[in-house]
Order: sequence, then C-alpha cells, then structure tokens
Amino acid sequence: MPKGMFIDTTICTGCKSCQVACKQWNGLSAEPAHFGRKPGVSYPVAHNFTGDSYDNTGSLSATDWRHVRFVEQIDEPRTQKRWLFSSDSCKHCTDAGCLNACPTKAIQRTDLGNVVVQQDTCIGCKFCIPSCPYGVISFSEETGTARKCTLCNDRIHNGLGTACAKACPTGSIRFGEVADLRKRADARVAQLKSKGEKAQVYGYDEADGLNVFYLFVDGPKVYGQPEHPIVPQRRLVLCSLVTILTALGIGAAALVSFRERLNGTSEEGRHES
Amino acid sequence: MSPEIIQAPEWAWYYIAIYFFVAGTSAGAYFIGTMEELFGSGREREVSRAACYIAFPLLTLVPIPLIADLGRPERFWHLFVYNQAGYPYLNLQSPMSVGSWVLLVFSVCALLSFLDNLVADKIISFPLFSRYYNRIPRKLYAVIGSLAGFFIAGYTGVLLNVTARPFWAATSPLMGALFIVSGASTGAAAISLFLIWRKRNSGGEVERLEAFDRVVMVAELVLLAALLVMAGRTAAPLVSLPFIVMFWMGTVVFGIVVPLWFKIRSRAERFGANPVLAHYLFILLGGLLLRISLLQAGQL
Ligand code: SF4
Ligand code: SF4
Repeated sequence: MPKGMFIDTTICTGCKSCQVACKQWNGLSAEPAHFGRKPGVSYPVAHNFTGDSYDNTGSLSATDWRHVRFVEQIDEPRTQKRWLFSSDSCKHCTDAGCLNACPTKAIQRTDLGNVVVQQDTCIGCKFCIPSCPYGVISFSEETGTARKCTLCNDRIHNGLGTACAKACPTGSIRFGEVADLRKRADARVAQLKSKGEKAQVYGYDEADGLNVFYLFVDGPKVYGQPEHPIVPQRRLVLCSLVTILTALGIGAAALVSFRERLNGTSEEGRHES
Repeated sequence: MSPEIIQAPEWAWYYIAIYFFVAGTSAGAYFIGTMEELFGSGREREVSRAACYIAFPLLTLVPIPLIADLGRPERFWHLFVYNQAGYPYLNLQSPMSVGSWVLLVFSVCALLSFLDNLVADKIISFPLFSRYYNRIPRKLYAVIGSLAGFFIAGYTGVLLNVTARPFWAATSPLMGALFIVSGASTGAAAISLFLIWRKRNSGGEVERLEAFDRVVMVAELVLLAALLVMAGRTAAPLVSLPFIVMFWMGTVVFGIVVPLWFKIRSRAERFGANPVLAHYLFILLGGLLLRISLLQAGQL
C-alpha cells in the first residue's frame, strides 16, 4: 500500500517548520540569508532574500527538498487581501517522469511507493532533471548526483512518519496511507464547499496519481503547480515513429538518387563508347 | 515568481551539442557509405571508403564529452551495468539508456568497416585471417551499423523531445527527424571534404552524392520551418542575440540556404575548387550551430 502525504494548504500558516525539519533530518546544508557588505556599495546588501513575500528559497533545489510558497493576492481597489501558503515537495508520482528517464536504475520505487534516488548509483547525467514535470529533482554540484525528497525513506521504513509531517504544528502536512489520506481530503473538500469555498484536490489524476497531493482553494498555477502536467515519456512512441519514418524517407532518397544516377551514368557511358 | 518551473539540465553545450553533432555526422556518413556499397554501381567505391574512414575516427572522440559532462564521470559504466546487482541494465523508456547501448553496437560496426577498408587498401594486414577475408559478412554489419547509425543520429532529438522543458516539449515530435536529416547532410559534406582531400572528388559517384544532399537539405529546411511553427512562443530565445547570429545566420542562411543555392547553381555552371570546399565547411558548421542552438534554446 503506497504511503504518501496530504497537504491541506488551507490550514498552513507558513511557519516553515517543515523546511527546517527536512533540512535537519536529511542533513542538507543551509544557504543562510543575511545582510553583508559588498565592495563599492555603502549600504549592507541582502544575500539569499528572494524579495517575494516571505519566500526564502524561491524553489525546490538539491538542498531544499521542501519549499513553502507564499502567494499574496490583492484585489484591484486594494481593499481585500488573501494570503495563500503551500508547502511543496516531490510528489512521488505513480508514473514518475524522473524514474522513467533514468538510464542507470538509480531512481527506484520502494515497496511503500516512494521514489528514491540511490546516491551510490546515480552518475549525474542530469536527464531526470528536465524529465520531472514538476521541476522537483535537482542536480547537486556538491555530490555530483541528482537529489530530491525521499519521503523520508529511512523513517517510513522504520515505522515513523516523514520529518516534515511530524514537525508541522497545524496538521497541514499529513503522512499516511494514500487511500486513507484521500478520504480525509474528500471530506475536507466537502466541508469547504459547503461553506462556499472553491476547494479542489490536486493530484488525483495528474501523472496517474500523486502520492503527495494537495488541497487548493485556487487554480494550481497560483500555487506554482502546472495546470496540465504531462509525463514526458508519453510522447516517446510518437517521437520514435516520426523519427523512424524520416529515417525511411532518407533511406528512400538515398536509394533513388544512388540508383537513378547509376542508370544515368551507365547510359552516358554507352553514349561515349 | 514563475508559475511553472521545469528545471534545465544545464548540459554543457561544448560537450553535449558537440557530441550530438559528431555522432550525427559519423552516423550520416556511415549510412551513406552503406547505401552506396549496397546500391551503387560497385565499380567506384570512393564514397563508401571515405565513409568508413570518417565514421569510426569521429566516433572515437565521442566518449570524451559524454563522460566529461557527467556529475560522476568515474561511474559512467553504470549506464551498462546496474551497479547494485551487477547485471546489464537497459531502460527502454529512456533514450539515454537505449542510446548508450546502440552507440556500442554502432561503434563495433564502424570499427569493423574501418579495419576492413584498411585491409582492402593494404595499409594493415592480418595474415592469420587472410584466408577468411572473402567470407567476412561485411554487408551484414554494414546494414546493422546503418540502422544503429540512424538511431544514433535521431535519438538525441527524441531525447530532447521527451523532456518537460517547454521548447523541447513543444517541438515534439520533430526534433529526432530534424537531427537525422541534418546528420545525413553533414555526413555527406564530411565525405565530400574527405574526397577533396584525397583528390577523388569527381565522377558519377560524387554527382549522386550531391543529388542526394540536395534532397536532404530541402527536407531539412522544411522540417526546420515546421519545428519553428510548432515551437511558437517557446522559441523566443531563438530571436535573442547570440541565437540570431548563431541560428539564423550560421545555420539557416550560411549553413543551409546558401550551400543549397550553391549546389543547385553548380549543376549548371562550374565553380572553382575553393568555393566548393568552403560550402562543405559551411554545411558542417551550420550543422554544429544547429545542435548548439536547439540545445541552448531549451535550457534558457
Ligand atoms: S515529482 Fe518529479 S521528482 Fe518527484 S517523483 Fe514525480 S517526477 Fe520524480
Ligand atoms: S542524474 Fe542520476 S538519477 Fe538522474 S537520470 Fe542520471 S543517473 Fe538517473
């Protein structure tokens, strides 16, 4: 039975406990934000501040396996404001683009359904990186390999939940059986809808189902998720067919030009003789 | 905040685009040589000889950039053997995996043809095997090698198409087709240059090669146009500065249109040796710039 996480973004407070817990458990180095002196500039300059609300990393990366996104929505007359938060990570897709692309079997799915990069197998070819339809998996210059969230592979295989879910003080991140989490999500959507909110679950159909899925109260794009993610390998058959047809066409062109000319030259030869 | 953030692999163009180009040219040349061998008159063998002398030496360059671009170059053998269990590994869904294996097959065939020609030209000899010389199945491995060569020329394009990067995804499924056609054209140019160097660039064979190349280059223009239409707004990088020079001038104008015009004109009139030499160089350079442009446009 696959394990996963349900992220109820409506009760996230943007505290980033999950980001910190993830870094600590997985031993990922931090890129501290600070003010520092820059030669030739009289005032202190900000390093590692995105300038985008309270967002401190901007995206997922080889050392940021969790990323809390802050969305500030302000209406035109600037009277109403809404602040949306969403804690993002690898979705552990059922049809995972990264896993499909890997030529070394470094990326594997475990018995609990999570997708893990084996660090001692990865060769750093970087093919998985553009193959993830969510821009999750990243290349680490430090290790020369691809890295991403493992769904706390070591913890969940020892009966614990993920570090981020454990740290989350509001219960916005829940770890468990995907089937149970889906029931919880459906109940929560029904509850919100009865109050007139336009709530939706993101991750039931995408990539054959995401083991880490979300409850959104606005379109996925608002939360930085693709509206219609396509597992890129689904284009493979068509691409191969078109390429083979072209190869046949080139073969035919070669055949015709080499054959035809052959007759042509032999005729010329006859004229000369 | 960009809503859709599909990361670029940051493949170094000076490794990967050059690999695409060298492998494509080698494969194109090998295929042309085989076709000439199988269907040509049989009296002249200059084109197929040149092809064999080009294909394998070019391939020997290929592992260097491929391995150098890896994050862990010392582990390159994991492409063939699953290191955790020690068995050979092939992932049919991954063009990178299939491509690595086919590259091996192609290299073996190209090496055999190369040695074969060295023996035929009496540059080397294997006294032990000379008795069997006439029984070597050279047509068999020429055909296998050509099929593998087609794969090598085309899979690099398919590999780009089956990613989620907007430009590479939008140009699906044409990139593989374009790379095959470009490989055939640069392969033909490489053979012609070789023949000029050996002072053998005349006769019916060379004319047949030219006729083939004219068709191929027209097809290349058509495919390129279709690809740009499909790319639409994702092709925006191609109209920014380095690409205007590299892609539009280098590939389209001087790499395809001008050489094609030259080829069509040169059927009627005769040009001197230098412009002929130059137009082949332009075709090769255009092919290289094509790979660099399409690789980098997808990574910006
Ligand atoms: S979200 Fe990306 S990195 Fe995670 S499993 Fe899916 S394809 Fe792989
Ligand atoms: S970078 Fe590593 S994990 Fe990613 S495709 Fe290559 S070998 Fe597999």
